[in-house]
Amino acid sequence: MVLKDENIYVELTHDHLDTMTAINRVKSPKAGAVVLFAGTTRDTFDGKPVKQLEYTSYTILALAQLKRIANEMKKKHDLTAITLVHRLGVVPVGEESILIAVSAPHRQAAWRGGEEALEECKKRTEIWKLEEFEGEEGGVWRANRDGQAGVRIA
Amino acid sequence: MPSKKPPPGHFNLLYFAASSSYTKKSVEAFKAPVSAADLFDLLEERYPGIKDKVLSSCAVTVNYQYVDLDDDGDDRAITIKEGDEVAIIPPVSSG
Repeated sequence: MVLKDENIYVELTHDHLDTMTAINRVKSPKAGAVVLFAGTTRDTFDGKPVKQLEYTSYTILALAQLKRIANEMKKKHDLTAITLVHRLGVVPVGEESILIAVSAPHRQAAWRGGEEALEECKKRTEIWKLEEFEGEEGGVWRANRDGQAGVRIA
Repeated sequence: MPSKKPPPGHFNLLYFAASSSYTKKSVEAFKAPVSAADLFDLLEERYPGIKDKVLSSCAVTVNYQYVDLDDDGDDRAITIKEGDEVAIIPPVSSG
């Protein structure tokens, strides 16, 4: 599922994420800087071994939210191009769950735009992460919001 | 996922993340109309304990728009109508 606008590309996919594809989407002769953030799934949470992570989304809302964030960041940081891609379904430990690629004429804007895009995605996008631990039934729905504990499945 | 049309006179309620685990459903049809302000009480009747454990930290969308659930003050809560797509939105955790 993809939404596009001028120099904006956002996607939700069940497939493996490819970093070079994300970089190539934002590269431009106008941009001297490309910044890529790759969020990968960790093998522990609070010292507990994570078996697997699974992401679900309210797809219509999440795609629109990603596009809104991309638009805002592009305007605010004067980015040349921006790409936001999030993976859904089971993501094996060590693989990418999110890729953010931005380009800008100079590095400062690219760094800042990329960082703020990630923070906004984590705060706002209608995507949920279920962590399942080794040797435990069920799992925990994680929450990015500060101080918000995850909700354990009974 | 979304979503089969609800039966006549009903709206679909989508559950995500913790709300889906609690109800063991991803979608459920409810009779319309319902005031958005009464939605959580309706769910509490059907799923005792859900308000405290899950809904207290959730937002609600109606037809892809976030809605205000408070019916006090000047803003009247909206009414959920037949055919609407309503969703329970727990705290998000992308990334």
